Amino acid sequence: MAVDRDRVRTPRTVSNDFAAGLRGWLDAGRSLLTGLGITGRTAARTPVTVRYPAEKIRVSPRWRGALRLRGLLGHDEIPLISAEPPGYNAVIDDLYRGERLPPCVGNCPANVDARGQAFLIADDRIPEAYELVRSRNILPGVLGRICHHPCETACRRNYYDEPVAIRPLHRFAYEEYRKVAEERLTPLPVTREQTVAIVGSGPSGLAAAYDLMTLGYAVTMFEREPQPGGALNTGVPTYRLPRDVLYNEVNDLVALGLDLRLSTEVGKDVPLSVLMRDYDAVLLAVGLQESRILPIPGHDADGVVGALELLWAANHRGEAGLRGKRVLVIGGGNVAVDAARCALRMGAADVSLACLEGEDEMPCHPWEIEEALDEGVTALCSLGPKEVLTEGGHVTAMRMQSCTRVFDETGRFAPEFADEFTDVPADVIVFAIGQAAKLDDLLGGTELLVSGRGQLVADGTDFTTSVAGVFACGEVVTGPGSAIVSIATGHEAATSIHRFLEGRPTDDEHRVRRPVPVYARYAKADVAGVERTRLRAVMPMAKPEDRARDFRPVELGLTHLEAMAEASRCLRCQSEVCVGCTFCARTCPDYALQVERVDDPGIRCLTRYDLDLTKCCFCGLCAEQCPTNALTHTGQYELSFYHRDLMTFDKGEMLRDGGGTRATGRDGVLPPSCPTRPHRGGEDR
Amino acid sequence: MSLLWGLLWGLAAVMLIAGGAIIGVWWERKVAGRVQMRYGPQQIGPAGSLQMIADVPKLLFKEDIVPEGADEPLFRYAPLAVFAPAAMSLAVVPFAAGWAPFDSTVGALFFLAVPSISVIGILLSAWASHNTFAALGGLRAAAQMVSYEVPRSLSVLSVIVLAGTLRPTDVMAAWEWWWIPLTFVGFLVFLISSIAEMNRGPFDIPEAESELVAGYFADYSGIRWAVFMMGEYGALIATSLFGAAFFFGGHRLLPGVGGIVAMVVVACAIITVVMWVKWTFPRLRADQLMAFCWKVLTPVALVQLLVAGVVAAWL
Amino acid sequence: MTGQAEACGVDAHLLQTGDELVVNIGPSHPSTHGVCRVIVHLDGEIVTHAEPVIGHLHRGIEKMAENRTYLQVVPLTDRLDYVGSMYANWAYCRAVERLAGIRVPERAEYIRVVMCELQRIASHMMSIGSTGADTGATSAFIYAFNQREQVVDLFEAVCGARLTYNYVRPGGVSFDLPDGWIEQCRAFTRSHPSAMVEIDKLLFGNVIARQRLKGIGVLPAEEAIARGVTGPAARGSGVDWDLRRDDSYSVYPRVDFEIPLGENGDAYDRGRVRLWECVESCRIIDQALAQIEEGPIKAEGLPRLLAPRPGEAYDHIESARGSLGVYLVSDGSVRPYRMHVRSPAFQNLSVLGYLAEGHTLSDLVVILGSLDPVFGEVDR
Repeated sequence: MAVDRDRVRTPRTVSNDFAAGLRGWLDAGRSLLTGLGITGRTAARTPVTVRYPAEKIRVSPRWRGALRLRGLLGHDEIPLISAEPPGYNAVIDDLYRGERLPPCVGNCPANVDARGQAFLIADDRIPEAYELVRSRNILPGVLGRICHHPCETACRRNYYDEPVAIRPLHRFAYEEYRKVAEERLTPLPVTREQTVAIVGSGPSGLAAAYDLMTLGYAVTMFEREPQPGGALNTGVPTYRLPRDVLYNEVNDLVALGLDLRLSTEVGKDVPLSVLMRDYDAVLLAVGLQESRILPIPGHDADGVVGALELLWAANHRGEAGLRGKRVLVIGGGNVAVDAARCALRMGAADVSLACLEGEDEMPCHPWEIEEALDEGVTALCSLGPKEVLTEGGHVTAMRMQSCTRVFDETGRFAPEFADEFTDVPADVIVFAIGQAAKLDDLLGGTELLVSGRGQLVADGTDFTTSVAGVFACGEVVTGPGSAIVSIATGHEAATSIHRFLEGRPTDDEHRVRRPVPVYARYAKADVAGVERTRLRAVMPMAKPEDRARDFRPVELGLTHLEAMAEASRCLRCQSEVCVGCTFCARTCPDYALQVERVDDPGIRCLTRYDLDLTKCCFCGLCAEQCPTNALTHTGQYELSFYHRDLMTFDKGEMLRDGGGTRATGRDGVLPPSCPTRPHRGGEDR
Repeated sequence: MSLLWGLLWGLAAVMLIAGGAIIGVWWERKVAGRVQMRYGPQQIGPAGSLQMIADVPKLLFKEDIVPEGADEPLFRYAPLAVFAPAAMSLAVVPFAAGWAPFDSTVGALFFLAVPSISVIGILLSAWASHNTFAALGGLRAAAQMVSYEVPRSLSVLSVIVLAGTLRPTDVMAAWEWWWIPLTFVGFLVFLISSIAEMNRGPFDIPEAESELVAGYFADYSGIRWAVFMMGEYGALIATSLFGAAFFFGGHRLLPGVGGIVAMVVVACAIITVVMWVKWTFPRLRADQLMAFCWKVLTPVALVQLLVAGVVAAWL
Repeated sequence: MTGQAEACGVDAHLLQTGDELVVNIGPSHPSTHGVCRVIVHLDGEIVTHAEPVIGHLHRGIEKMAENRTYLQVVPLTDRLDYVGSMYANWAYCRAVERLAGIRVPERAEYIRVVMCELQRIASHMMSIGSTGADTGATSAFIYAFNQREQVVDLFEAVCGARLTYNYVRPGGVSFDLPDGWIEQCRAFTRSHPSAMVEIDKLLFGNVIARQRLKGIGVLPAEEAIARGVTGPAARGSGVDWDLRRDDSYSVYPRVDFEIPLGENGDAYDRGRVRLWECVESCRIIDQALAQIEEGPIKAEGLPRLLAPRPGEAYDHIESARGSLGVYLVSDGSVRPYRMHVRSPAFQNLSVLGYLAEGHTLSDLVVILGSLDPVFGEVDR
């Protein structure tokens, strides 16, 4: 065996022969002795086989033996993800490392337990579901209407048919909760002496307030407007978010003990320095108040407005002088789409949306632009604003330049233009190209640092500012984003404040910086052959031609039964409890599995799980498909039975403990961990 | 009286061969195992040594199948015709000084002639099985065994020429140590042709598992099959004992009782080499086998005989 | 014997034998490498006519595929060439990917190449080992199987199965390599070539084996091409054709390897081509393992049910037996409308009668073994 691996060379031709004559005879004799030498040497070596039973062959952890279930619908409960606010990250981190984190929870910036919500709603424990969601998503009713639902994007059900309607379920939970809100809301006890002031009543501030109240602090919140909600109040069109939902949920927080002071502008009515003196910690959650307007020729003409102003006018006056006018919205983001749809509702004759990006690259959510196009908005893509054409100080048109490329090879924003110009006639031009913070009044008289570009200096991980005891969260730190991202920063900031007030460093090794999970993005599944009952509940929507005229809500909500059925569509990913989704049975090439479940509200259980081992070919497709990781292979392979009926494994046998099957007794080997985990892709390998 | 003695000796020979076969099969399985990176038998008894004790009752209790269309009496008793000559040939092996079970004046001739009778048993079993594969195997065996008689006899002849007698005990008495190098080529010819004679690999063409699926005893099962195997091991034992005596001096290697031990040890070494060869080499084809016999072994044996004759004459 | 042949449904003309002896080798016979039956006409020991009778292992896999989703067909392809399941997995998945326009991540392609080269070793070890077994050299058989066993252990560590792997998926592979696997595989590719040299000396260097294999079943190159013989069986005749190089696919263009060729086209050359291919496979694996990078192992965003647009696709790979092709037709539904497998074993087996004529019965066994048919693939 002592041949150097590098010296083994493939010969030019494999046909070789002995030389003729005596040489050949000698070679022939030597070949016999060589053969005897090889076998003799081998005989002197230790054999490669094992000495049974003292030694046994080790089986691979991915062994594909007889199947086994870890848990069963109606037999085992799934774990709810909940923890005290500062410990929540650690819980998520543990689940993530153990590959037990459901994709919906992992993909949510605030890690809302959407799986637990679906579990509780399916069990008709709806107020509990609402409270579970509220612990991480302070405004379930609001987000249930406006969230961009990254949870549904990551939902494993995408892979099979359609995602679970997590966002409509938030909304449904809110509506049910309203019926019992009175009895379930009791003020949270104040157990600590320190006090916290929060500036701004947007989603991030509210999230931080809730966490701090849960921890026992007294929290005071200041809001400039006469109504709470921050950008949700001023910026979100009412057809998407009826204001009573927002006010109800904020009032719930007040009922829990929040000291909310409306119409109090910090910096004007109360100086920030006073807050810093009177409170042990101050959290700035002021958001972004100003629309940015491009400094192109004519930008100061009459008829050029910012999107925030337009939306504010729409929300508070219901009128912006747009009736019968041609409106051009510049920008391709969600705010731009909102502005366009608002303009339509305020009676604009013709609304266009112009953006730099191509149709596939538009930064807004695809469903937003889809709905807008339904309502009659015209999208003009790959056009960059060049000049506002005016006549007598009034806007007449916008000169647009064709854009050939928006991002360079590395993905940075670096637009390139062609020498083609288009004039788009318009009476009103709305800029929706970004927002900026207005901090001058607020920060006057304090030592807080502001960067050269007018942004507050703040840490993006623990949300501290340049002054100890002053924290910042929300869009003022992250820049324009979504409500749920702001809420997530609120939770992080609350954790920092809690650490600060306890005298611990805000950033030590216990601060979990969990890896950002990467979940597979699924192509649209082919649902042509899937039964209607398995598909996502259809959210009733107002007709496009109706909804373009007024500000009534577009989505109409789910009924109680629809919601419970939708919740039971949840696959309870990674819960290790079989939900009877039957994907294993549907993927079995041998039709060896029979799964049935009863789905009536209140008595949801698996009635049958039969594995016919006489058919099983141990291909492993079923366990690969199992969304909950409940179905796994074992190392039990001694499957011989005296009676063929015994070869059908029923529920009880499928749930057997580690020891063995009916045939093997205790002889089977259980793999150390789940062997058939589908690869998740991404970083942690 | 001599009849009684004969019966007793016959019984002893059968016992010896049966016991030898049991040990031989175990040893062969061990050798084959180690050559093939395995342990061989290891479950029953120390190092699996009782494996064959367990196998014998198994073989005894197996169904004794006679195939449809077979010539039943011939089929049933052909194995005995294979086994008996092998057992008989043990009778002339000179175990100790001046003593062999059957100390015949033509002992050497007896040893060369009697085992050849087993070819009749093989032909009988092949014919009686009424099976193409068995028939092919039987025909191959007949051709092979008859041919290999020639070099085998010639190789033994060189020792006989040196000793000047056919009586095995007298050959042993006349044996000198320098006969070993002188007749070594003759021993190789004897060994090779004996392997062919007892249809062991690499000359197991009549059985040729991969072509004829055991050839002439393809249809045998249970104890009748075991008798074939005992015949094979009997021939192996007799041949190696005889070879140890004629080509290595047998009991003359050590004085007294040690002589028998030395002879058995040499015989065991020969057996092991035979097994080693079997588990190393591929099998020849029937025509190549015959060519090898007539074109290589026979001339070499003749040259050896010539050398031995010249030396004998020169003495 | 004629009665036996008659009972097996042999055509009447085959029974007009004159002095010839008709022997059925198989379907249950140790040297048919599966369940093949060869009707052999013998003149003494000389084969005057040999005709393989196939179909004993026909399971209708091509038809079964029409009633299963694209994913469910993968376990069926395992059972085509059960000595080289990875190949059929891969060929099928390539056809599906071509049909559905799926782009496979690079890491998956590397894993596939590594797996298929390991599979080539495993399959060739089976073939070389049975060359030994057919000629009576049982130890060479065991030595070859010892090598195969190590490959199979590697497969088991990756996918949990030792024979029917069901590992390659449309769009990638089912599992990533476990921790420490690459080192384990490297250790194997380091030790394997020297084991090959040993087997070469023990089997192909042995004078008896040379006599048994040289000049047996000579297949001239033109005849090999004319009869559609591919793989080592053709390369033994000097036909310099290997899809890995001549219709390069996956990441094969990025690795450097040689293609061993024979000159005489006899059983010896066919066997020894396989032996040296194993050494080259080790080189390919080493290079692939050096080039492999972290990344996804499955194409992103594949739905559970694939429903390619209506159309057809054919793709082929170089399996251990030759050019293995899968032809798929989609009618736009989630199940293939038609699947056909171009199996190299079937083509290679077709020359058996041509090769065996004039040789002895013992050589017939060797010739059959040197063509290395797997009847799961022949019969499908």
